Amino acid sequence: MNQCQIILYTFEYKINQMSKHHLGEFEEIVMLTVAILADEAYGVTIIDEMESRLDRKVSMGSLQTVLRRLEKKGYLSSEFGEPTNMRGGKRKRYFRLTTFGKQVLTEVRDQRMQLWKAVPGFSISDNL
Amino acid sequence: MNHPSPPAWALRFFRWYCHQAYLEDIEGDLMERYFHQAEEKGQSFANRQFIREVLLMFRPGLIRPAEGSIKLNNYGMFKNYLKTGFRSIRKQKIFSVINISGLSVGIACCLLILLYVSNELSYDTYHAKYDNIYRVLHAYRNYAEFEASPTPEPEDFQVWGGAVAGPTFVNEFPAVEQFCRFTSPTELLFEVGDKRIQENGMIFADSSVFDIFSWKMISGNPETALKEPNSIVLTYNTARKYFGDEDPVGKSITIDQQVEFMVTGVMENVPANSHFYFPGLISMSTFYTWRPNIFEMWDYVDFYTYFTVNDPSAIAGIRERLPEIREKYLPDFKSFGLEVEPLSDAYLHSVAGRQPGDTGNYGNIYLFSFIAVFILAVAAINYMNLSTSRSMERAREIGVRKSIGANRMSLVTQFMLETSLITLISGVLALALTVLALPLMNRFSGKELELSGLLTPVNLIWFIGGLILLSVLAGAYPSFLLSTYRPARVLKGKAEKLGGISFRKGLVIFQFTLSIGLIAGTAIVYSQLDYMRNHSLGFSKEYKMVLDFGWDNGVQKSMNYVKQALADIPGVNGVSSTRAVPGDFLPNAGTMVESPEGEMIMRNPGIYEVDTEFIPEYDVELLAGRNFSDEFVSDTTEALILNRAAAEWFGYTNPEDIIGKRYEQWGNSGVVIGVTENFNYRSLHSEVEPLSIRFAPWFSYTKITLTLDGNNLPGTIDELEIKWAELVPNRPFLYTFLDESFNTHYEKDVRFSRIFTAFAIISIFIACLGLLGLTMYNIQLRRKEIGIRKVMGASVPGIIAQLSKGYVVLFIIACLLAVPLAWYGMDQWLKGFAYRMTPGPIIFIAAALITLVIALATICIQSVKAALANPVDALRDE
Repeated sequence: MNQCQIILYTFEYKINQMSKHHLGEFEEIVMLTVAILADEAYGVTIIDEMESRLDRKVSMGSLQTVLRRLEKKGYLSSEFGEPTNMRGGKRKRYFRLTTFGKQVLTEVRDQRMQLWKAVPGFSISDNL
Repeated sequence: MNHPSPPAWALRFFRWYCHQAYLEDIEGDLMERYFHQAEEKGQSFANRQFIREVLLMFRPGLIRPAEGSIKLNNYGMFKNYLKTGFRSIRKQKIFSVINISGLSVGIACCLLILLYVSNELSYDTYHAKYDNIYRVLHAYRNYAEFEASPTPEPEDFQVWGGAVAGPTFVNEFPAVEQFCRFTSPTELLFEVGDKRIQENGMIFADSSVFDIFSWKMISGNPETALKEPNSIVLTYNTARKYFGDEDPVGKSITIDQQVEFMVTGVMENVPANSHFYFPGLISMSTFYTWRPNIFEMWDYVDFYTYFTVNDPSAIAGIRERLPEIREKYLPDFKSFGLEVEPLSDAYLHSVAGRQPGDTGNYGNIYLFSFIAVFILAVAAINYMNLSTSRSMERAREIGVRKSIGANRMSLVTQFMLETSLITLISGVLALALTVLALPLMNRFSGKELELSGLLTPVNLIWFIGGLILLSVLAGAYPSFLLSTYRPARVLKGKAEKLGGISFRKGLVIFQFTLSIGLIAGTAIVYSQLDYMRNHSLGFSKEYKMVLDFGWDNGVQKSMNYVKQALADIPGVNGVSSTRAVPGDFLPNAGTMVESPEGEMIMRNPGIYEVDTEFIPEYDVELLAGRNFSDEFVSDTTEALILNRAAAEWFGYTNPEDIIGKRYEQWGNSGVVIGVTENFNYRSLHSEVEPLSIRFAPWFSYTKITLTLDGNNLPGTIDELEIKWAELVPNRPFLYTFLDESFNTHYEKDVRFSRIFTAFAIISIFIACLGLLGLTMYNIQLRRKEIGIRKVMGASVPGIIAQLSKGYVVLFIIACLLAVPLAWYGMDQWLKGFAYRMTPGPIIFIAAALITLVIALATICIQSVKAALANPVDALRDE
């Protein structure tokens, strides 16, 4: 077994492991929003984006808890930006999706699609 | 533009709970949203939202862990604080020495006073039945006094009373369990083997004494020891004196060469914290066999009656029924009064007369406690003054600390810690000082204080708590002042405006006030003592030698022969025999004298029993009539001399008028033959009280007074001793000098003055230390100014004046405060003396001047040095 294979195996193993973990609905939305915002995703913009796109009230508490949880799981990564006056001199923490996070997200989407496709007499393209 | 800001408490709350790692960006988010909302929807909406968000954020994922790295951090910081603290102590040696020496002396004073006060408060508390023991007080007033005010004043009562009171109380009041009577001390000659010693303090006591009082029996049975007549219980020291190490129980002592007494017990020495003291007890039944009739009498006054009650709350009921008891047993003696007093009042609170022992003074306890607190306050003030005035030196450090993130509380903590360090060092030094000063304190106070009494775990906690409190009090002001400095300013080298100048001035005024007050107080105490020693007593007490032969029958019978033999010795100028000499204890006698209106009035003056020589030998002035004389045979039984106070008491303002009036006293009757000027036969604490003087029957003499010429005192005393051994071989040669024994009445006052002076000196010393430190610092600050002034031509005296001027103003304010305070305080103290000096303005002026001189001297040492310094040295290092 060469080195490449070992990495592949552990990768697969990790995906299997993670896919056992249920990605919650809110978690999924947060990850998608972070993906949408690309380089501009930090606490305030994420909430604003969710509010404008989904018309959904989100408290900073619930958002921040999820963000930290996702970061711990390895789906998101973060780094500090520059401090601005508007924030009382505090720096922003920018979030972005990790490769691993993208993979999990795609997998969830595929699972969903499979399920949709299996619904009898229900065409996705009809509703789009 | 005024930025809106979110509610501070919510932000603080958020900062408190939020995890350190998330704090910055989440706070940023919160702020950003807040500003945004405030702009769009108004501040109150934003505030509401902000609070809501903060509260919703309080959830497990974001809260900081309960224990974190913070503790470790603090430990490091504390280490750093300690290190800088030690460095600053070492760097500023003079200030540290001033602070530490002042504080340690202050703490030591407090400890000593605490020892003294706790000893004063501990009197009699060792008795197990302390709360249940009471004593009977009696008021023997005459009818006129009774008419004037039916209820006697507390001062009218005396502890001394009749023997029948005890049994009456037990019979009348169910709550009274037991009683015990003591007599006043008697002088007895003890003989054991070849030891022959006069014991002066023996008292008779009822057999219940060991039930009521908790004195421990070392040997013998406490139940029966004092039951039988002629039995005697000795204290340990007395027993050792006669019997050495052997057990004296069952051995006999010959008393007054007549009666054999059996030692039935040895008890512990009466503890020093007892309100009266005795070397031994004799059974009351002995006294009873001698004079059984007086045990039924209310007016044979020779007993101190103590009793126990089963419940202290019953005392109110007993008090209520006392008039009824008086009415029942003494229906004709309406002016007589009874009162009860708890044992807990006996030492410090009793104002009754005829106490069985020395009493304490509650006022002194307050006074000394105040002085101790003041001394400590002066030391703490030094600390505050010096550390605030030195604050500039620390400003840079504070600036650096603040700019690298120290907040105000951590700076306060740092300075508090530094103060604690200094108080801790002072506390340890103070303990050592206390140990060293304790013997001195014992000599001053006449007590035997021991440090071991204070070294209990509870007291140690108090001590440490006290040190912490002291650190907080002394450190709080400087800490808060220093921590307000703004880093940007002090680091740029701009002087932060020194705060609290008026506060510091106030503290200096306080110190000056205290010093002036204490010096004035000391001066007044000393002049009062001097006044008392030199005040004319109305009799001469110089070169009076008093021989005490303790009722010896042989001497009494051959009195004239003995007197003649002693008078023949060269150097002896006069001889008289009496029952008591001035300053001694003396009884009172019920005396009836014919009033100007012709009726017989009953009064109760003191009584002196003397011979014909007493009045001339003591130089007592006769105002009217004549002295006793051997030429009038009837003088021994039918003549009485009164002092002027007594004559006035019986209604005669002119002494001549009472001569020839009839009198009755102690079974004698006759006429008043003379009136003497008042002479002060007790002490100057009290007014001269009415006194009757009678020609003593031969068996009443107990003392011989010899007037010596003082030329060859030791030789005369030797000759007297040889002669005495020849004349009275069975009696020891016991003599005292009247002026010395009379002055023992002022011993307490002398002690008071010593303690007062010691503390006054200490507090002035500490105040001076503080002043020294303050001047040194001020001069250091003004070095350049002085240099420039000198260059411009200022003279040395001019500069000294310039430097001292500020203090003189403070001093004048202090004078204005100190004089009325000291005057009021000392006036209270002087009220305890019937004959007192009036503190004139001289004393206060002198006290103020002394303080000014000390203060200026302290300041000048430094100012002169500064003024003389070469200005080049000060100005060169620009």
